[in-house]
This record gives sequence, C-alpha cells and structure tokens, in this order.
Amino acid sequence: MAENIALIKEVHEGMSIKAAEGLACEYLEKIGMGSIALKRISACQSVEIFYVMLIRALMMPQEQICILAPFLLIKHLSGLDELLANIALLNDKKDIIILDTYSNELHYKGCECHIVK
Amino acid sequence: MIRFIEGIGERAIGAFASLYEAIKFTVLCMVHMLRPASYNPAMRMVLTKQIYFTAVGIIPLFIMMAVLFGSVIIGVVIALAAEYNLQDKIGAIIVTFSIDEFAPLFTALLISLRSGTAINTEIAVMKVNKELNTLERYNIDLIDYLFIPRIISGIISITSLSILFAIIMLCSGYIFTLFYMNMDLTSYKALLFNAIEVGDILTLLFKSMAFGFVTMMIPIYSGLNTGSAYTAIPISVLNGMVKLFIAIFFIEVLSLLLQSL
Repeated sequence: MAENIALIKEVHEGMSIKAAEGLACEYLEKIGMGSIALKRISACQSVEIFYVMLIRALMMPQEQICILAPFLLIKHLSGLDELLANIALLNDKKDIIILDTYSNELHYKGCECHIVK
Repeated sequence: MIRFIEGIGERAIGAFASLYEAIKFTVLCMVHMLRPASYNPAMRMVLTKQIYFTAVGIIPLFIMMAVLFGSVIIGVVIALAAEYNLQDKIGAIIVTFSIDEFAPLFTALLISLRSGTAINTEIAVMKVNKELNTLERYNIDLIDYLFIPRIISGIISITSLSILFAIIMLCSGYIFTLFYMNMDLTSYKALLFNAIEVGDILTLLFKSMAFGFVTMMIPIYSGLNTGSAYTAIPISVLNGMVKLFIAIFFIEVLSLLLQSL
C-alpha cells in the first residue's frame, strides 16, 4: 500500500520513489499501520483501505477533505473516537469534514461532525 | 427503403465517429509521449516494469520459439531456393525474408498474444472496477501513468525482440546453407554482408516500431471502451484482438507496398 500512497507525491510533485514511499510509511507508522506498507489491497481490511485513501487525500493539494459515510466505508466500525484520534494524528493543516445520513446519527452523539441527509 | 438507407447512414456515421475518437486518442498519446513532463518517477517505474514483463520475461520462451519456427521456415526457404537454382540470390532471399518480413511479423504476433491480451484485460478490469475513475479523482493523468509506459514498452520490446529473432534466424540459416549448399561460415558471412542494405535495417526498425505501437495502443483503447459489467471484459478483449490482428496485417501489407515502390 505504500507504493499506492506514494504515487500521489511521485506524480504531483515529481518526488523520487524512495522518498515518496518513505513518506507514505511515515504516515502509516503514525497510526500504527506500518505493517500494511508492503501489502496488496486484496490483503487489507476495510479500515486499512480507508486510512490509505485518507492519507492519499491528505497528500493532495486541495485544502478540504470530505469523508462520506465512514460507517459504510469501514466494516464493523463501532465508534468514531479512534477514527477521529487517527485523523488528528495524520492531519495538521487540512479541513476535514464527515458527511453521513441521519440513519447513522446515533454514532455521532457528542462529536462535532457535520451530518447531512 | 428509407429505413434501410437511414440504417446505412447511421452505421457510417457511427463508424466515422469511432474512427475519429480512435485517431484523437492516438494523437493525444503521441503528444504526451513527446512531453518531458509526462516522464515523472511513477511513470518511469511503470515503464521499467512493463519492459521487464513484455521483453525480458519472455526471452527464454521467445528464443525457443525463434529457434524452432525460425529454423524450420528459413530451412524451407533455403531448400526451395536450392531446388529452383537460386543459389546466387540466396543472400538477398535470407536477408529479405528474415529481417524485413518474418522477424518483425512473428514477434508482433507473439507479443500481441501474450501482452496485448493481458493489457486489454488489465485496462478493462480497471475500467469495470472504477479504478480509472479513482486515478482521475486524484488528478493522475491516465495517459501519462498507464498508457504511455505500455506503448513505449511495446515499441522497445517488439523492436529489440525482432532484432533478436532476426539474428537467430540468420544463425539458423547458416546451418541449412551448410547442409544444402556445403557453404562455410566465411562465405555465409560474406553472402549476408553483401546482401544486407541500410534499407533492410530501417525496414526492420520502422516496422517493429509500428507493430509495437499498435500492439499496445489498440488493446488499451479497446479496454478503455469496455462497458460497466464484468461480462463486457471478454467482449472487449475479443474486439481488441480482432482489431489488433487486422492492424498488424494492414501494416505488413503497407510495408510490402512501400518496399515495392
């Protein structure tokens, strides 16, 4: 998956493969997922794929990231606490919003999220 | 009657529209190939892998096929030339047959069967799985990242493998001239060097490059035009391969026509 993440920096910033993959591994290590760096997508769980997508989005030049229905993207996601903690670990400058339907409203009790129908 | 004419018109417009789209895509790919900005580190990595898969991975099988087919065919040609008393033209026959015609055509057919089908399926699967959409969402140029490395690897692979095939055929030719005409190696070498012309080398190079281009371009284009269902993948590969074989034979005929001018 590191190769997968590194692609963004290689294409948009012309970063060397070694440096881009190193940066991707750094991001994965931050959230304790360094072990998936050499895995293929078929060998990853939905939560791992979600974080890979998020890291790729963080590497893009756009300022805002929109996560749509995380409870659909991640199987067996019990609560948002761990997710929000990991987002905080990964993100230091981008504006991240979570959009979801009212059917998932209960999951967001006590969290500062934008819930839309 | 009017419906019949309308039907013909509709088909003709459809055919011209798809031909226009194909030409537009080809020109776009060629423009990207000439742009230095296309050659980013990710693209270079894909290019290296593609050359490895297309040209290096096939070498043992290719050499075996070249020795088997090349020897048999050059053997038949030499035997026929000896039978019809064409010994004085044998150098030109071997060179024309091996370098100008058989080596690039056989290599193109082999690579089409092995890599053309693989690339058509790969792009079609990516299209159906919406992986191409994902790459576009991340502003990754599909032509730079996916298509150009494959097209360049096709050109490099077919050209280099055609040269290898021609060399193997010329070596096999010596064995047969030795048996049929009792020709020694020095005479055989002299015969080839006298017969070979710059035009033969240029024909081999340009033909191989043209074959390499279509061998990758047509499967890519066919894969890109796959429908959204998994059942569309075999149809896409089938259509792509038919078009590719037509294109290969078209290039072959065109090169024969150009050489006869």
